[in-house]
Amino acid sequence: MNFLAASIESLGAKVVGWFTVGYAMAAFLARAGLLLLEPATWNRATFDVVVKQVYFTAVQILHVFLGYALVISWLIITIILSTARDFGLTEFASEMTIRVLVLELLPFLTALFVALRSGSAINTEVALMQVNSELDALAHCKVPPMQFEFLPRLVGGVVSVVTLAGLAGLLALLMGYLAIYGVNTAGFEPYTRTIAKIFDFKIMAGLLVKCALFGLAVTLIPVTAGLETPKKLFMVPVSVLRGMMRVFFAIVAIEVVSLALKYI
Amino acid sequence: MNKLHFKVGLFAAASLLLAGMFVVYLLHARGFFEKTFHLQLAAASADGVAPGVPVVFSGIEIGRVTTLGLNENGGIIIHAEFLGRNAKWLKENSTFTLDKPIVGGAKIRVDSPDLKAPALPDNATMLLLTSDISKEIPALVDRVKAILDNVEHLTRKDGELNATLANAKTVTGRMTGEYGMLEGLLGSPEKARALTDSLDKTRALITKLDGLAAKADQWLFAEKGVAAQTRESLAQIRLLLNDAQSSLKKADVMMTNAVEISANVKDGTQDLAQLRAEIDDAVRKASDLVNQINRKWPFAREPEVKLP
Repeated sequence: MNFLAASIESLGAKVVGWFTVGYAMAAFLARAGLLLLEPATWNRATFDVVVKQVYFTAVQILHVFLGYALVISWLIITIILSTARDFGLTEFASEMTIRVLVLELLPFLTALFVALRSGSAINTEVALMQVNSELDALAHCKVPPMQFEFLPRLVGGVVSVVTLAGLAGLLALLMGYLAIYGVNTAGFEPYTRTIAKIFDFKIMAGLLVKCALFGLAVTLIPVTAGLETPKKLFMVPVSVLRGMMRVFFAIVAIEVVSLALKYI
Repeated sequence: MNKLHFKVGLFAAASLLLAGMFVVYLLHARGFFEKTFHLQLAAASADGVAPGVPVVFSGIEIGRVTTLGLNENGGIIIHAEFLGRNAKWLKENSTFTLDKPIVGGAKIRVDSPDLKAPALPDNATMLLLTSDISKEIPALVDRVKAILDNVEHLTRKDGELNATLANAKTVTGRMTGEYGMLEGLLGSPEKARALTDSLDKTRALITKLDGLAAKADQWLFAEKGVAAQTRESLAQIRLLLNDAQSSLKKADVMMTNAVEISANVKDGTQDLAQLRAEIDDAVRKASDLVNQINRKWPFAREPEVKLP
C-alpha cells in the first residue's frame, strides 16, 4: 500500500514538475513575445546582440555545416537513387529525395547541430549567470536581461536555424539535380515540375514554421533550464544535462507532429 | 569597419538573395506568372477521380483536377486546371481517358493525335472516357481459364501430346544410335545393318561390272575383237547352213521315197542302203555345223540338233 502511494506520489511530483517547467517556458515565451512587440525593444543595442548571436550560431559554423550537409545529402541522394533504380521506381526518386532531405532530414539535423553547439553554450552561460547572481546585477543596473540577454538569443536562434536549414535545403536541391541529371540543363523542366508539385504553399509554410520552432526550441529551452538552476555551482552541469534532454525531446516532438500533420 | 557585422551582413544578404531567388523560381514553377487554363470534363462516373488527380500527356503531368461535382442532369463535371504553357497540348480533337491502373493512382490521359489541329479554347467542355482495367479482369480470367483447360486436356497423362512426345523420343533415341537416321527410319539396328550390307555388296558388284564392261568392250569391239571374227564366222555358217539344207532336202526326198518303198520292199532294198548313206551324210553335216557353231559361240553349252 505504501509502495503504491509512494509511486503515485512520485508520479504526481513528476507531472507537477513538467507542468512547472512547461508553465515557466510558456510564461517566458509570452514575456519575450510581448517585449518583441514593443517598439522600444528595437534599439541599436538589442540589434547588436542579435547580430552577434547570429554570428556565433550561424556564420561562424557555416563552412563546417555546409560541408556536413553536402556529404550527408550526397550520400542519401545516392542511396535513394540506386534503391529506386533497383526497384524500377526512378520516376519517384527525385520527389523522394527532395521530401526526405529538404523537408525532413536537413531541418532536423540543423536543429540538432545548433542545439549541440549553441544550445548547450547558452544553457551553461545562463546557468552560470544565475549562480553568480549576474542577472540580478544587470537588472539592478537598468539593463533588463530579457531584452539584452534572452530575447536576442531567441531571435538569433530562430534566424540561424531557419537560414541554415534553408541553405542546406537549397544545396540538397542542387545536389539532387546534379545526381539525377548530371551537369547539363536537360533535366531542368522535369525537375522544376517535381519541385512545383512538392512545394505548395502549405508545405512551404509548414517548413518555415517547423524550422522556426526548432530554432525556438534550441534556444528557449536552454535559457529557461539555465534560469531555474539553484544558486549552487555544482548544479550547473545538472542544469545543462536537463536542458539538453528537454531540447532533444522537443526537437523529436516537433518533427513527429510535423510528419503527422503532413502525412496523416 | 566591424568585421563581425560585415560577415553577418554578407551572410544575411546572401541568404535573403537565395531565398528570394528560390521563391521566384517556385512561383514560376507553380505557374504564378502565367494564365491558368481551365477545362471541364463531362464523365459518366467519377469513380477514382478526386481533386489533385493528375492530367498527363505522353506520360508527363500537365495539369490537375481541381474540383468535381454534379450538373443539373446528374452528369458529372470535372474541373481541371493547366498552366498556360501546357495548354498548347490540348487540341480540339484530343481525347481524354480516365486510367485506373491496378497499382498506382488514377490519372486522366490526354491523347492529341494531330498537334496541328486548332487549340482548345479556355473553359471548353470535353468528354471523359473510361478505361477501367479492373472491370476487364473477370472476362480476362474466364478466357485464361478456358485456355488453361485446353492446355490441361492436351497435357493429360494419356493424351495425344504425351504419346507423340514418347514416339518422338523413341525415334530420336534411335537416331542417336550407331546407324543414326537409318535406324530411326527402319526401326532397329539389325535392319539398318542389313540395308548397309546390301548397299556395300551392290557397290562391290557395280565395281566388278564396271571392270567387266571395260574388258568386254576391249574383247568385243577392239581391232581384232570377237565382233570382227563373228562377222566372218557368220558368213561361213551361212554356207554351212545352206549345205545342211540341201542335204536335208535330199533326205526329205529320200524319206518320201522311203514311204513308197516301205510299201514295196521288194523293189527298195538297194534304195534303202542309199537312203541310209544319205541320212548319215545329213546328220554328219548337221553335227559338223553344231560343232562349228560351238567353237564360234562359246556360251551355248549343250547344243542339240533334233532330227526331223
